[in-house]
Amino acid sequence: MKAFNHENAKTLAEAKTALAGGKATIIAGGTDLIGTLKDNILPDKMYPATLINIKTVNPGLDYIKEEAGMLKIGATTRLADIAAHPAINQKYTALAQAALRVATPHVRDMGTIGGNIAQLHRCWYFRKPENRFECLRKGGKTCFAMMGDNRYHSIFGNVNMCIAVHPSDIAPALLALNATIVTNARKINAENFWDVKVASNTVLAPGEIITEIQVPAPPAGAKSAFLKFAIRKSIDFPIVNCAVMVGGGAPRIALNAVAPKPYRATKAEAAIAGKPINEANAEAAGAAAVEDAKPLAATKYKVQIAKTLVKRALLATV
Amino acid sequence: MADSDNSSGEKGGLNRRTFLKSAGFVVAGGTLGAGLTTIAPEAVAAAAAAETAPTTITNFRCPICAKDFATYGQLKSHFTAAHPGYVLPVTTKLKVNGKDYEVLIEPHWTLQRTLQFKLGLTGAKQMCDRGVCGSCTVIIDGRPVLSCTTLAVECEGKSIETVEGIAADPKWNPLIKSYCKWDAMQCGYCTPGFVVSAKALLSKNPNPTENDCKQALAGNICCCGTYPRHPTAIMEAAQIMKGGA
Repeated sequence: MKAFNHENAKTLAEAKTALAGGKATIIAGGTDLIGTLKDNILPDKMYPATLINIKTVNPGLDYIKEEAGMLKIGATTRLADIAAHPAINQKYTALAQAALRVATPHVRDMGTIGGNIAQLHRCWYFRKPENRFECLRKGGKTCFAMMGDNRYHSIFGNVNMCIAVHPSDIAPALLALNATIVTNARKINAENFWDVKVASNTVLAPGEIITEIQVPAPPAGAKSAFLKFAIRKSIDFPIVNCAVMVGGGAPRIALNAVAPKPYRATKAEAAIAGKPINEANAEAAGAAAVEDAKPLAATKYKVQIAKTLVKRALLATV
Repeated sequence: MADSDNSSGEKGGLNRRTFLKSAGFVVAGGTLGAGLTTIAPEAVAAAAAAETAPTTITNFRCPICAKDFATYGQLKSHFTAAHPGYVLPVTTKLKVNGKDYEVLIEPHWTLQRTLQFKLGLTGAKQMCDRGVCGSCTVIIDGRPVLSCTTLAVECEGKSIETVEGIAADPKWNPLIKSYCKWDAMQCGYCTPGFVVSAKALLSKNPNPTENDCKQALAGNICCCGTYPRHPTAIMEAAQIMKGGA
């Protein structure tokens, strides 16, 4: 790792000021960031001169509370705590299940929910150590995956010409549960939170810090579930993952690792709306979810996985 | 900026002897088999390697030109004058295995690196160095975490437990013995990580099922494939520690 300065921010305002200085980056759990820095993925001009630790801000951002019919999770809350929280398991099931499927127990004891939703994508051209491929997401002009090996890439086309998929397990759960992401500047609905930019996967402006995740209590009778398909059961990033919330209102179905942004399967939602969850209806919803798929030659298999995962996730709520 | 990863500290890194000493507890377990009681002294010796590490910094060495200074202030003024543009080393207080240490490190040093090169604690192994394999597992405030992905400067004020501390603690002797008895290791490189994860599990859950063990060890990779032995060893240790079996 190349050298950098390290500052413990005492308040969010202090962190914001430090970020405004230019070459500074927020560090929370560090599980994505430290790997990125060790591999020296980004061009030199993007290597941070300072890391701002926000685990030290006061008041702290490590909390889970239920207030006014809403679940509030601080940005630096560890994923292990979310996965083990009884109320989240009971009412916000998809979120607890998603948190439990992230990486390994060790990473869940380090990684934070804020960092998970803001993590960078895993495209192997982007991630190649020592910045070997100056791709679109590093300010370059080429998407190497488009012409190269793209077996783990998007099945719903590109965004800003990038076909790398968003790797988060938490993201589809937040999308299905209609969560809101609170920053030090504004509130953003999960649907508008992710973006495809140079060295960033979010719409966050420079100096903007995620402070809280707010999840409205699911309507009475609603049930949610999360399923993940990965090659290895532990540590692995998803090939496809899926979170659903059905019953007690309009159904919500979200997929991730299928597109550059977490993908809300609106056609599948329409297909299952008002219908009982059974084998046939779930299968039809799965087929509807991938109706718009435009897979690459190497990603056709992901369409089948996405289709089946939607079906299984719906059936898992029964 | 220079990559100063290879600069060793005032302890001068590790010599071959200390390395063999700390690796010894694993090797002894693998070869001695029946002679289980001989393992404890080896483990204590491994922990003793840290005893010689100074608890306060007496010598502030510049990581760039290796000049020595008596105070941090002197080093700081030397640094700003002689090495502008470089990152200033910092002092950090670490509480490792119940003992307080003060170390002079650079902000980008990971905890694994600091334990190895400043305190001589080689139990937390550098293997993948990317937070994937679990060989560098240590316990921070009760949580099993990856020391290769944790910055040492962020550990100030936290309680850090390493495999040396666990091995030297008589309370956890059954766990070490059980690992040796069931030979839950081959080359042994990943074993400290497994033992620390197992200890973290047993602290939270004194009566784990096989599935609990598998879940808790899901972040530890063993290239020799010793996986089936670990739940057996942990569950037996749990029984012994409860006074049964």
